[in-house]
Amino acid sequence: MDFLAASAGPIAEALGTTILLAVAAGIGSIVLGTLITAARISPVPVLRWAAFGYVQFFVNVPLLVLLVLAVFALPDAGFLLPLTPTAIIVLTLYEAAYVAEAVRSGVNTVGKGEIEASRALGFTLGQTLRVLVIPQSLRAAIQPIGNVMIALTMNTALAAAVGVVELTSAANKLNLVEAQPILIFTAAGLIYMALALAIGLTAGRLEKKLRIRR
Amino acid sequence: MITSRSNLRRGLVLLASAATVVALSACSSGAGSSAVPGSDPTASAAAGSLDSVYANAPVAEAAALIPGSTMEKIKQRGKLIVAEALDAPLLSQQDPTNPDDVEGFDADLAKMLAIYILGEPNVEIVPPASETREALLANGTVDVVFNTYTITEKRAEQVDFAGPYLESGLAVAVKSDNTDINGIDDLGGKTVIVGANTPAVTAVPEEQPTATIVSFATDPQALQALTQGRGDAYVQDFTLLASHAIDDKSIKVVGQPFTTEAYGIGLKKDDSQFKSFINDWLLKIQADGSWAKIWDATLGSAVESSAPTPPAIGSVPGS
Repeated sequence: MDFLAASAGPIAEALGTTILLAVAAGIGSIVLGTLITAARISPVPVLRWAAFGYVQFFVNVPLLVLLVLAVFALPDAGFLLPLTPTAIIVLTLYEAAYVAEAVRSGVNTVGKGEIEASRALGFTLGQTLRVLVIPQSLRAAIQPIGNVMIALTMNTALAAAVGVVELTSAANKLNLVEAQPILIFTAAGLIYMALALAIGLTAGRLEKKLRIRR
Repeated sequence: MITSRSNLRRGLVLLASAATVVALSACSSGAGSSAVPGSDPTASAAAGSLDSVYANAPVAEAAALIPGSTMEKIKQRGKLIVAEALDAPLLSQQDPTNPDDVEGFDADLAKMLAIYILGEPNVEIVPPASETREALLANGTVDVVFNTYTITEKRAEQVDFAGPYLESGLAVAVKSDNTDINGIDDLGGKTVIVGANTPAVTAVPEEQPTATIVSFATDPQALQALTQGRGDAYVQDFTLLASHAIDDKSIKVVGQPFTTEAYGIGLKKDDSQFKSFINDWLLKIQADGSWAKIWDATLGSAVESSAPTPPAIGSVPGS
């Protein structure tokens, strides 16, 4: 167990990278996912189709494939970004598709009558979305979005495969020296569990606080 | 690669797969043929010549299979369960067109060991995540590990090592147009690419603490990263790099190997019967020349020198 304490520094640093990936991609994917849902329910057919295509593409292509493509194929096309930003961008694009689906489930809870009422009151489309539909949808979808965030946090581990030094990568390195896989990966697993628990509890709190009482 | 959903429209499937295929082919074009040593016609010819080595491989006498021992259990089971890679060129690589055919120095030695115990090369391969080799041995999932498993004293607390059966060293590769880096001494402050879970992960910081380490999961990925300029140098096993440099003129190996890695055969801890049984076998295949023939057919196909002297059994701390 001593070596776990001795290598706390590098592990904490790697955990920082994991949290950075999760928070940056989390915020990005919630924003992007909400915009995609807005496009999905808009009256403009091109936007609806584009949003549908986006969601289907990212839900159906494995994240690891996207990461490997972004890291190794984009440089051949002339885009060479550092590894961590690349991973954040890919995670954002990927998880946004899942956020969009979660928000869309929230949209279905908004009463048709409310939307008709907003039109009757002369709201523009932008106003209807911004004031009425999106806030209610997000509030109804807090738990599903929380689940997507937990999945996102777990998915950050895949960034280890393309050279980002995050928690899983640090655990690998430590094990290479210490040869204690069960202990080391159990410890890493507990840290991931703690992160998931924190996200889950926060989502639960938020939901209780923001729930729409009908 | 693409999980289709029943409600997914056909057009989108085609679009998505076309995009993926285009992007993937763009990806592989940079790596070139270097990741596929089997495409070298001389290599397959050399592999064919191993048939005579297998035909004349030593087989243990019945008395050596002590009742109740690990080797006797393997004999009863009728197959040897080996943890070895499927994606390590020259060492243990699966032929993509013939998945039953795994070739390389580690893979061929594993077949020789199977012949020694069973009389036939009946090997079941469990591809190890190399981070779980100790666990696979400890819980009995595999009998032996042939996985360029560097013998270290820390690891020897968890597992036993027979051998060493091969000595190699880490070397530095750079892009061909790089004239600043002429070996490990020039890597201070540079970005250095390594393979995750290879000895280079720890060896490079020991030599050059100021170097930034970037690790990639597989050897072809690391090579691709080097040619794309994600790092200044790639540190990997000398023989492996030499074989890449032959196929891919955009990279070159600079300087001499700067470490000595002694690879051992990983065994379950405290099974001294099995360990001495395997060490006896190693001595036999070294003495009858089959060790050198296998080296020539695999690792030797990448370098011009003739087969080295095999390392002495038990010559490394931990073995």
